[in-house]
Amino acid sequence: MIRFEHVSFGYPNGETTIEDLSFHIQKGDFVALIGANGAGKSTISRLCNGLLRPLSGRVYLDGQDTLITPTSQLAKKAGFLFQNPDRQICENTVEAEIAFSMKVQGWPADKIRERVAAALETFDLQGDWFPFNRSRGERQRIALAGVLACEPELLILDEPTTGLDYLECIRIMDHIKMLNLEKKITVLMVSHDMELVQDYAGRVLVLSGGKLLGDGPVKEIMKNEPLLRQARVLPAQIPSLALAFGDRFADVFTIREMYEAICREKGRGICRAGREKE
Amino acid sequence: MNLLNYVPGNSFLHRLNPITKLAAAFLYGLACILCGSILMELGFIVLMIAVCAVAGLGKRALRLTRNLLILGLFMFVLQLFFVRTGEALVQIGEFVLITTGGLASALLLSLRVVATMLPLMLLFAITPMNDLCNALVKKAHLPYRYAFILTTAFRFVPLFSTEFHEIQDAQKARGVDFETKNLFRKIGLVAPLCVPLLVSSLEKVNSSAISAEMRGFHLRTRQSGYKEYPFTGRDVLIFVILISLVVFSALFL
Repeated sequence: MIRFEHVSFGYPNGETTIEDLSFHIQKGDFVALIGANGAGKSTISRLCNGLLRPLSGRVYLDGQDTLITPTSQLAKKAGFLFQNPDRQICENTVEAEIAFSMKVQGWPADKIRERVAAALETFDLQGDWFPFNRSRGERQRIALAGVLACEPELLILDEPTTGLDYLECIRIMDHIKMLNLEKKITVLMVSHDMELVQDYAGRVLVLSGGKLLGDGPVKEIMKNEPLLRQARVLPAQIPSLALAFGDRFADVFTIREMYEAICREKGRGICRAGREKE
Repeated sequence: MNLLNYVPGNSFLHRLNPITKLAAAFLYGLACILCGSILMELGFIVLMIAVCAVAGLGKRALRLTRNLLILGLFMFVLQLFFVRTGEALVQIGEFVLITTGGLASALLLSLRVVATMLPLMLLFAITPMNDLCNALVKKAHLPYRYAFILTTAFRFVPLFSTEFHEIQDAQKARGVDFETKNLFRKIGLVAPLCVPLLVSSLEKVNSSAISAEMRGFHLRTRQSGYKEYPFTGRDVLIFVILISLVVFSALFL
């Protein structure tokens, strides 16, 4: 779906540079990009849909070279959800807002009406709302509804849950995960929230200073503390705790799993197991 | 490079009192407005660039001149066709297209625009906005809130420009074709961007106002600034030179 081939990029003012980066994301993957601030996460997400273009090397989105394909063309394949929904929302009603992308991409009117109605229902929105005075979570939902209504094959999420409360966050992410599983939408998510990454992503790319430090299944990366530390990322709490408990807790990632493991190990002295390892 | 940014330096221009710089820019502009000779307007532009070059700002001055010339060109074209005095210069059949009066007045006006605006634009290169603001409060007794409006307006320009680009990117990512070559289409596409820009600007203004209040904005008086801005002999000299320039320009040019 996305292929980076020896991509280098630098901003004119010398900020975050990406050097010789290559990776490949398959169709249907749920990939998380993690790393410290300035590691190049947002830059990579913007390189994917042509908002930025590589200085050298190539980025292919579904076979299309982003260097020569206009962003408006790539937008038909890749939906992009920004951290701040206010940059995206530009219409006076939620209905018009959701229809906006489909209109500029030249969808037929009856199809637009149908998709808007479906999106309003899925995301629990009302068509006649004035988007700008809705709550942060609702605005994020409106933006996401607008992006998903176009049925993109790739969904790029740039820190999609910043500023959302826990329930809003779960709600949005569950929906995205469902689309990923059922409709095989490829998802590329930039996030600082390791719990979120661990719960939803299948594969993780770890970035530091514009270079790829690690690339692998989420469970492998989450247990690789030295790697995460090198990338200046704080691992999720439960896997860290499991790591401290030793090998018998190797596949513990969630609170539920931790609870079950503790019950299982009760009386066997889990703390001793950890100490022996040290 | 932003053409309105401050360029750090220690030249004689930089060391002038901010008020002197402001007044000098206005007086120089006034001299250019009063001047009625095309050659002398050209001379004013060259003189300004030369002064800047001596102060190490030659490159900035040239780039500003180039940008102002584009504006000048626009004025030139308008004047050329709308002023119809003098003899016919270009004639199509019976229809007089360009007259000598039109050409002279177009040249004079466009050069005057460049010559007048150049020192004002260069003022920003040699004066940090805060110094100008503080000096206006201390020396010219301008109420602080008005001086604050002035500096804030300038500080917000790059912020808004970043915000605008972010919004444009967001719309591009949704499939709006800003890469179109058709100018009219492009203008039509930019119009919807104003809504999110306005929303975010108003929000920013509100939060800036609150944060200024929280830090005791209303407590500030003329004595609050710790920097002093004394006038020196150099400032007096500049005033004398520029006032004579204005008088000379008004009487003889």
